[in-house]
Amino acid sequence: MLRTLRILPRLALMYLRSQLEYRGAFWIDRVAQVITYASSFAVIWILADRFGTIAGWNWSELALLFSFHLLGYSLGACMSFTQMRQLEEAVRLGTLDTLLTKPISPWAYMVFSGLNPGYTGHALLGIVMMGWALSIVAVPWSIGWVAYFLASLISAAMVTGAVLTMIGATALIWTRSNHLYSLFFGFWELSRYPINIFPTAIQATMLSFVPLGFMAAVPVAVLLGKPVPILGDWAGPAALLAGPFFVALAMWQWRYALDRYQGAGG
Amino acid sequence: MAQIIEARAVSKRFRQHRRFPGFLGALKTLVTAEYTEIEAVTDVSFAIAQGEAVGYLGPNGAGKSTMIKMMTGILVPSAGDLTVLGRVPHRERQANAREIGVVFGQRSQLWWDLPVRDSFELHREIYGIPRPRFDENLKSLSSLLDLEPFLERAVRQLSLGQRMRAEIVMALLHDPKILFLDEPTIGLDVVAKDAVRKFLSRVNRERGTTIILTTHDLQDIEEICPRLIMVDHSRLIFDGETAKLRTALGSARRLMLEFAADPGPLELKSARLTSDDGLRKHYLLERDDISLVHVLDEIGDTTALKDISIEEPNIEEVIRTFYQRRNAELPPR
Amino acid sequence: MSVYFAFARSAFLTQLAYRHEVWANMIGKLVQVFARVAIWVAIYGGTASIAGVSLEQMVTYALLGGAVTGAIRYESIISGIGQALRTGDVAVWLLKPASFPLYVLATELGRAAFRFVILVVPTVAVVAAVYGMLPPASPFHGVMFVAYGLLAYTIIALLSALFGLVAFWLLTSFSLEWMMQAILNLLSGQLIPFWFFPAPVAVIAAHLPFAWIVYYPSAVWLGRLDVTATLSYFGLGLGWAALLAVGVVLLWRQASTRIVVQGG
Repeated sequence: MLRTLRILPRLALMYLRSQLEYRGAFWIDRVAQVITYASSFAVIWILADRFGTIAGWNWSELALLFSFHLLGYSLGACMSFTQMRQLEEAVRLGTLDTLLTKPISPWAYMVFSGLNPGYTGHALLGIVMMGWALSIVAVPWSIGWVAYFLASLISAAMVTGAVLTMIGATALIWTRSNHLYSLFFGFWELSRYPINIFPTAIQATMLSFVPLGFMAAVPVAVLLGKPVPILGDWAGPAALLAGPFFVALAMWQWRYALDRYQGAGG
Repeated sequence: MAQIIEARAVSKRFRQHRRFPGFLGALKTLVTAEYTEIEAVTDVSFAIAQGEAVGYLGPNGAGKSTMIKMMTGILVPSAGDLTVLGRVPHRERQANAREIGVVFGQRSQLWWDLPVRDSFELHREIYGIPRPRFDENLKSLSSLLDLEPFLERAVRQLSLGQRMRAEIVMALLHDPKILFLDEPTIGLDVVAKDAVRKFLSRVNRERGTTIILTTHDLQDIEEICPRLIMVDHSRLIFDGETAKLRTALGSARRLMLEFAADPGPLELKSARLTSDDGLRKHYLLERDDISLVHVLDEIGDTTALKDISIEEPNIEEVIRTFYQRRNAELPPR
Repeated sequence: MSVYFAFARSAFLTQLAYRHEVWANMIGKLVQVFARVAIWVAIYGGTASIAGVSLEQMVTYALLGGAVTGAIRYESIISGIGQALRTGDVAVWLLKPASFPLYVLATELGRAAFRFVILVVPTVAVVAAVYGMLPPASPFHGVMFVAYGLLAYTIIALLSALFGLVAFWLLTSFSLEWMMQAILNLLSGQLIPFWFFPAPVAVIAAHLPFAWIVYYPSAVWLGRLDVTATLSYFGLGLGWAALLAVGVVLLWRQASTRIVVQGG
């Protein structure tokens, strides 16, 4: 266990060094990502500028929602998305087999040997936007509020990581999983809007099977004292518990899937 | 000798979603959930002792890789008992992994963009190899396989042969008790193949590392493995000394008799005449209990004989005859 | 030509083989279309009309926008071409009597046809049944919508091919996929029609080639453009498509000579 902890930073460093072998491409990718997120942000800005509020959320509140979503996502996704998206290929090409012959957890090896420095772009953009949003939004500052803010942000990152990991792990059983990511990103696009604008069926889905409501909409609504549909007064504790709950679920599912791993089949 | 690998009636079945052909079939596939079971390994038993070198042979899809994957703990057997070094591999996968080395010929375990040495250093950390032991192993193994010239080069710049040598050295750095190799010589040129074979025999001899190897190249087995396990259609069909495979599969030896003067057609009971060039006659010795002595006895007067040669068929020929015969026996469909 | 049709056909059929994928895509599409409509319903929040556009028109716009961009996967064109160039796999294609970019476009069009029939039409129909959808403003606008739709596919396919070729020089197709995403978000009008844009930005956006991917087809359906404007903007769109096609051909020549010279 202790040795595993020592190995993990080394894996992350090796990956960073591999990435920097392609320095030019690395920085172009970062710029492209920032532009893309800025474009999504611009869409919300145009809407807010034009219509004043969306479902009772004004521009500064929407900006906080967007930045919370981006930061929580980048923290969770750097520990899961690019690595788990590769799992399908790792199963097909048999690279997962080679990991399974090493005396180390294949999950730990995969996640840390692919700890993507690309998310620093997201995270920086998220932090800058969040600082700015917090300076213009009306916030009931208190130690409790800040503590809840940080705790729910971590919980949001855990939900993100858990869902992305669970999707990836299905490749261990079905050999294909990447199509499920398009399903994820369908919901993901919605999860940066206030949840109360959606039909009840989508709200219910986003608070249960596809728990992306906890990525931003629920915790930020709680932080700003706005009503949360379905959950009502339970929204506060639910946003904090969602992270640990889904991480536990993902860990269980990972073990289950690994036991049923068939290799590339035949 | 202690048995370090024991397989008792091991089987492995895979489930596959059934696909239907054609356009309507594709639509049907969309809504059905029928599965077909594929037997990759059926009822295979064997035991391997410390220090052996065993070749695991069979045509594509015969279940070779599946067996290796079960022994290394990657796959869980569907039935039967399998122990490696006294452990059930998939249940104690990490403990098992610490004591075995695995090389997959078609998948690299080295970091593509980084120098070879970096992958080795990571390997040292993962297996917790003490520094002095690691340095000593690295030094002796790299000099044997001539790795020093490219230890500091990025893996992507190496030739396939160089890379495979590095893979094998890496798998041995932690002094594994068993080394599993899945197609270690695939794609290598003659020189590289030769280097790998010599090296593996030497490791087996000098370090006492047990070697289990799957391959398509029979020369690998002849040069490295005194023992051979052969599988076909998921079942074990031969397990024994490589040299005795011929007897087991019943392939004929070749006999050539050369005479000083043509004795005319010479039919024998002990051997079957296959071609007659007059002075030179070729026979097949189809029964194993018939030896040269019987043949000479039957000829009786051997004064006209100028030369005799008896040829064992090479392993490739033995196996080819076996498959040809088997295919001929299969019912038509 | 029949070769490319065969490529497209087999791509269409291959799609059916992965049933989990088909179901996941269908649900994902449905969620996305529902959500985009829901966002507009929330924004209108009871107001009948904003800037001369009714909620019904806006819902129709959102449904049509999903129809064109929902069927095509620009990222598979970009990464398909980008990867083949970088790995040198494309060298094999240079020996074949078929053009590689056309092959990639044909297979992607086959998949797009599949997604249009299996994913887009049913999901749009379901959401339209729930929220209501306006018919084309006139038969003329209806016919022109089909023409604009085909032009939209051509432009997005050419643009993706162009990006895939650029990937060869940048050594990454990843960033180009992201750029395409940014363009679709903002400059195609997919999420917000240009009539809600701040004025100067709207004028610029309406004349970039990306506008023909979502904005013009939908605007034509709604009758936002009169007959003359419909026809003249169609001509302008064709001009952009031709320019993009020239760009693809030129870059393809550049890239393939470089591969031949360098040996992959």
